[in-house]
Amino acid sequence: MADYNKPIPDPDPYVTQPFWDGAKAGKLMLPRCTSCNRVHFYPRMICPHCHSSSIEWFEASGEGYVHTFAVQHRAFGGWADEVPFVTAYIDLKEGDRMFTVLRGVDAQNPETIKVGSKVKVEFEPATDEVHIPFWRVVE
Amino acid sequence: MPSNPSMAGALVGAAESDEIGYIEAGKTSMMLHIEAIRNVAAQTGIKISDIEGIASPGNANQIAEYLGIHPKWTDTTSVGGCSFQLHVHKALAAINSGILDVAVVSHGETGYSQRKNQGKGTGRARGGDPWAPDAQFSAPYGVAGAPSNYSHALTRHMHQWGSTKQDFAQIAVTTRDWATLNPRAVMHSKETHPNGGPITIDDVLNSRVISWPLNLLDCCLVTDHGGAVVVASAEVANSLATKPVWIAGAGENMSHANMLEMGDFTATSAKASGETAYRMAGMGPEDMEMAMIYDSFTVTAGITAEMLGLTPRGEGPSLWANGNAGPGGKFPVNTNGGGLSFSHSGMYGMMLLIEAYRQLSGTAEDAVHGLPGKQTDAKSCILNGTGGSLSHTGTLVLVAD
Ligand SMILES: [Zn+2]
Repeated sequence: MADYNKPIPDPDPYVTQPFWDGAKAGKLMLPRCTSCNRVHFYPRMICPHCHSSSIEWFEASGEGYVHTFAVQHRAFGGWADEVPFVTAYIDLKEGDRMFTVLRGVDAQNPETIKVGSKVKVEFEPATDEVHIPFWRVVE
Repeated sequence: MPSNPSMAGALVGAAESDEIGYIEAGKTSMMLHIEAIRNVAAQTGIKISDIEGIASPGNANQIAEYLGIHPKWTDTTSVGGCSFQLHVHKALAAINSGILDVAVVSHGETGYSQRKNQGKGTGRARGGDPWAPDAQFSAPYGVAGAPSNYSHALTRHMHQWGSTKQDFAQIAVTTRDWATLNPRAVMHSKETHPNGGPITIDDVLNSRVISWPLNLLDCCLVTDHGGAVVVASAEVANSLATKPVWIAGAGENMSHANMLEMGDFTATSAKASGETAYRMAGMGPEDMEMAMIYDSFTVTAGITAEMLGLTPRGEGPSLWANGNAGPGGKFPVNTNGGGLSFSHSGMYGMMLLIEAYRQLSGTAEDAVHGLPGKQTDAKSCILNGTGGSLSHTGTLVLVAD
């Protein structure tokens, strides 16, 4: 953890803190609107679907699917040592998307990576307080 | 009563900075702004002191101050490369409302020089907001710059529509053909760049992978560039020696700011901004005789062609097939050589405006900005800028007298 050399998120204490508290506990916490019942991500103080301000947090399944991906051959800072690596947008089982560095795939052979692959979330401690979610292909 | 602003204003001049491309001696963004404004003032005969409005992404006020003018209209809209299309849109509306008669839209950007300048002289504030959504939820994952984002759209397009890297590579090949007719294009020839001159699809596919599925030749250049256009009321336009290029339609729209919020990775807001512009013009894609389409990447241009109704969905690259979009083709596209092979400093929208002005005013071949074969006979042009991460778009329908 002490040697985590990549960008570390800086949680804002007003809106996104519950997400990062969940991550620290190994849970994927997502915001859901109690008026229209839809999940949104990134977390907001207003529902982007129906504009209700009644948002609750719940523990999600931590499952999803690869919506699309790319293989990064050029990166900066700590990520420069990892190229090539795969980035992906994940369709969350409960709705909306997250971005990730995708694990469990062969970056040298992008044709073996499939849109639609099932993925599960895992958390990597970057600091004592900030654990970063990553998604791994599980099939 | 609101009235349709169609044809209320025209582009009456368009000019670049004295130097563009890889300026080895270095420049600042303000130097490029001032060169371009000086040049467009000389071209149109409009005195800098007669500029009533000024638009530029982020810093229109600083440019006005530098020039010592006191404009009654400023627009600092800054939403990436299409900002200049939005400036023209807003200037047209202001002209139609009687607020002003002469506005200058200006661009100066040191995509190349800023390395030499150690990040200074860009005219922009540095650094982002650590609490912004992209800082918390995208930046931790190693994406760096536009190619690393846009590549996700091409992967999805290939998955969803069965398109191939070869299909998109054709866009780069055809665009390079246009660059060979533009002496100011970075990739004009071996004289202008070691890798300049014509390329093949295999050249694109064999170029270095930047962010799979985007190879180096799928990506735009990173240059220095300045440019300025004058938007004027019909009354002023008809009083000048330069030819007017009329703004028949204009529209803007956005789908997202952060790519996390991009619903369909194979579509952009160019569909909405294009429909708005066509409606204002009372014209449609079938009435267009050429196109200037933002080509930050081959995938940007391909998807945008679909959004503007120039091809069926999923078949954007077909617009470039069989030489149709190239020199001598039946539907010329990106006749300056594009962001891919002419010049792209980070925000390419100004270059679209300048080339469309030249084509529709019949000034696309003057030995400096074009060689024989570059001037088309198009009298109408659909022009679309894209900004951010396939986020924001501005579309214009331009027509010649
Ligand atoms: Zn809601």
